[in-house]
Amino acid sequence: MSGRFDAVADTAVRLPDGSTRDGPIVDLRDVELGSSRGALDRVVCAGCPTTSGTLAVHSPPPQSIHRHVSPLTPATTLHHRAALAALAAARGVETPYDDDLRTARRSLRSATPAAVGVADLRTARRRAAEAGAETERLRERVATIRGRVNALRDADHGTSDDGLAEAEASLSETTRRLSEVATERVAAAQRLELLERNARSARDTRDARLRLEDRVGNLERAVRDARIAAVEDEFRAARRTVSARLSRTRSPDEAASNGVCDALAVARVAPIRAPVVVAPDLVGALGGPKSTHDVLDAPILVR
Amino acid sequence: MLLVVTYSRRARETLRNACRAHEETVVRKFGRAALLRETEYGAFLACRLRERHAADVQVERTKPFNEFADAPDAVREAAAAYENRESPSTPYDRFAAGTDHPESDAMREREL
Repeated sequence: MSGRFDAVADTAVRLPDGSTRDGPIVDLRDVELGSSRGALDRVVCAGCPTTSGTLAVHSPPPQSIHRHVSPLTPATTLHHRAALAALAAARGVETPYDDDLRTARRSLRSATPAAVGVADLRTARRRAAEAGAETERLRERVATIRGRVNALRDADHGTSDDGLAEAEASLSETTRRLSEVATERVAAAQRLELLERNARSARDTRDARLRLEDRVGNLERAVRDARIAAVEDEFRAARRTVSARLSRTRSPDEAASNGVCDALAVARVAPIRAPVVVAPDLVGALGGPKSTHDVLDAPILVR
Repeated sequence: MLLVVTYSRRARETLRNACRAHEETVVRKFGRAALLRETEYGAFLACRLRERHAADVQVERTKPFNEFADAPDAVREAAAAYENRESPSTPYDRFAAGTDHPESDAMREREL
């Protein structure tokens, strides 16, 4: 049973020429691939199936920790906290905040904010504004025409009755339109007020959602901190081992950077099943492919 | 002034960025809300926020409250009298009982 599982969990690399290499350690130093180390890592992440004649890696799918530890080169750097949090997640570390976070996330998913009729509101605002402007315009016009009518009446003898009648007709027409538009203005204002009131109560649910979003955010931070704290000791111990291993083959002044030590330690502690791409000079520094595999406790592709 | 209140994390973030970038237009910042100066640029920022976050942004136009013009005399006088009461633990309605000061329920009902 366990032998069969191992066979499944192992890495198999199909080369472009159709040949296959498998095992926990696949050395690709002698193969002309024409693709970079990063490209090889992307092939690991992409998995199968692929078209024939291209490089393919058959392995268990990488977890979120993978991107922190692959590819590994002497120049690798590590996002320390993100990597430790991913490491703890891969290890299935539980924290006192997990349940609360699950609950809060569930509430957030089901908290659909009440719809605010954004388009309706915009239309109502525009109508209210236009009706207001039109009312003002007509009110001024009525005043002007009324002035003219009064002037014509006062001047009476000198002007034709036609002129006065025309002005009076214009006054009554404009007054009629003013009263129409004023009615529209009142209706538009009332409609806008109603929609604003609805929007205000819809915002109460948005307010609750925002508080929930903040709660989720705070719990996520708490979970992350707790996860990091849970693996910190093991990480430090692994780092001492890794750094001791590296100093066997390297003089202190060319000792690997802190970044690569951290990344190697994370890889060592993490339960990794998808192969990690490791650069040959780092493999050399760790004492060869077999030793690298032992240090990382993970399947490796040497490239 | 223009009061901008946000109702989602993203809208709040946009508002914060806008406030950081346009300090000259911001009169006051509160966590998820801000008061913008009543200039065309203030309106420009408010319109942009509304355009981007729609229902998650509320924009109100505010003006200073003048208690002599905006509140009835009785209300203003009641407030002054209550704040100067002798015993600090008296609730307002007990304080107002038997005086000319308006009841709190009645004030809640009446719009300004």
